[in-house]
Amino acid sequence: MARGGEPRRALAHDGELGAAVARAQEGDEAAFAVAYRLVQPGLLGYLRGLVGNDAEDVASDAWLEIARDLGRFTGDGAGFRGWTATIARHRALDHLRRQRVRPRSSVLEQDVLELPDPSSTHERALESISTEQALRLVRGLPRDQAEAVLLRVVVGLDGPAAARVLGKRPGAVRTAAYRGLKRLADQLGAAGVTDDGPGTLGEST
Amino acid sequence: MGERQSGGATPGRRRAHPDRMTARHPSAPQAVLDDAALEALLSAAVLRGHRPDAAGEQRALAAYRAARAEGAHRARTRRRDDWRPRERRRLAMSARTTLSLLLASLTLGGVAVAAINSSGPTEAPEERRTSPSESASRRSVAPSAQSPAAPRTSRPDHPGTARDTEAKCRAYDEAEGRGRAMESTAWQRLVAAAGGEDEVAAYCAERLATAPARPGGGRGTGAPGDGTAGNGADGAGTPGAGTAGTPATGKGQGAGSAGSAGSGGIGGNDGNARNSGKNKD
Repeated sequence: MARGGEPRRALAHDGELGAAVARAQEGDEAAFAVAYRLVQPGLLGYLRGLVGNDAEDVASDAWLEIARDLGRFTGDGAGFRGWTATIARHRALDHLRRQRVRPRSSVLEQDVLELPDPSSTHERALESISTEQALRLVRGLPRDQAEAVLLRVVVGLDGPAAARVLGKRPGAVRTAAYRGLKRLADQLGAAGVTDDGPGTLGEST
Repeated sequence: MGERQSGGATPGRRRAHPDRMTARHPSAPQAVLDDAALEALLSAAVLRGHRPDAAGEQRALAAYRAARAEGAHRARTRRRDDWRPRERRRLAMSARTTLSLLLASLTLGGVAVAAINSSGPTEAPEERRTSPSESASRRSVAPSAQSPAAPRTSRPDHPGTARDTEAKCRAYDEAEGRGRAMESTAWQRLVAAAGGEDEVAAYCAERLATAPARPGGGRGTGAPGDGTAGNGADGAGTPGAGTAGTPATGKGQGAGSAGSAGSGGIGGNDGNARNSGKNKD
């Protein structure tokens, strides 16, 4: 049911973020620190999905550019998330190009799948997995699906904004995110519900 | 899809980010995990591991201060920096489109007015009324035979045509470089009269230079001359359309073959304005 309209994901702090960015653009350093703290977790999560352990370095590069170009930005809090994600993505792709490493690590679903107590539902499974495991799970997806999922779920972008970050059509990104999530649900279902769970996991659609 | 509203809340199960996670699914007991719940859980799992990085923040702040000091924050917004909500951007764009459409129509309107004026408000209406029928009969007999062969604008004994041409030349001067006005029927006529697009400037210069010498006593006979020019242009665009007003180029041709300069001018510009409007879309 939540499929259709894709309302802009209203992150709780977007209003605060927008105000902080506006003040930072006028020279308020403390406001820039506020914006950093609001954006950095999601940005770093996205980057960890892209470049793994180098995410901190790439994020640091991205923030240099964000700090420098801040005056150019126009938009609200949600827009700032998209703008910063675009910058971070470019830095990440540069990084990958330098490294000639594919962003997809060849993971090892066992790692994820052996996780929690086998009789739990996958909801519980997800609750108990670590950040690292969740990211590895996402990175096991095809690249376009992984990015679409991360931008939606971790950075908190809506469909059109995620599409703009990725330079693709919104429909393509929506499909990629949908497939990625479905695949994750399948994997988690296979992982979590072995014996006594209801049989509809991940295939409820 | 399997949304459950079974009421039984499960407090305390979602520890991190309660504001985001409980948004849509207060209950969602087990198993059937829809996308929203999955997203929330995934998000929580990824973000949970975040540790604030004081050193990174300090680096970012230092970069911010440096940029502020050197005035980098006054830089201009590029297209990729504009992340205003879509509706507002689209609104801005449509405003721009509307404005340019308005400008185009004003330009074309100006040409149309010039054409109307040029064909002589000084002419007596009765005189004008006689001319269309004359020329219409002539034209419908042999439209293609006359138009390419004899460009009457070169005849010295048609003052009405001369004035008309002068007006077009003036319009040409004003509208030059302003896009669509140059594609209008009036323009095509002018090209036909000058004998080619490259000739127009020279042709107009000559016309305008000799203009004051002609007192321009507008007689009704000026009208057929213009009808010829118009038909020549039409012939160039769509051969053989001169006789029967085809719907595509519409009124302009029908009126043009009728030979009335005034109505030809109006009709031509009217049709052209509509065309350009269509092209804009």
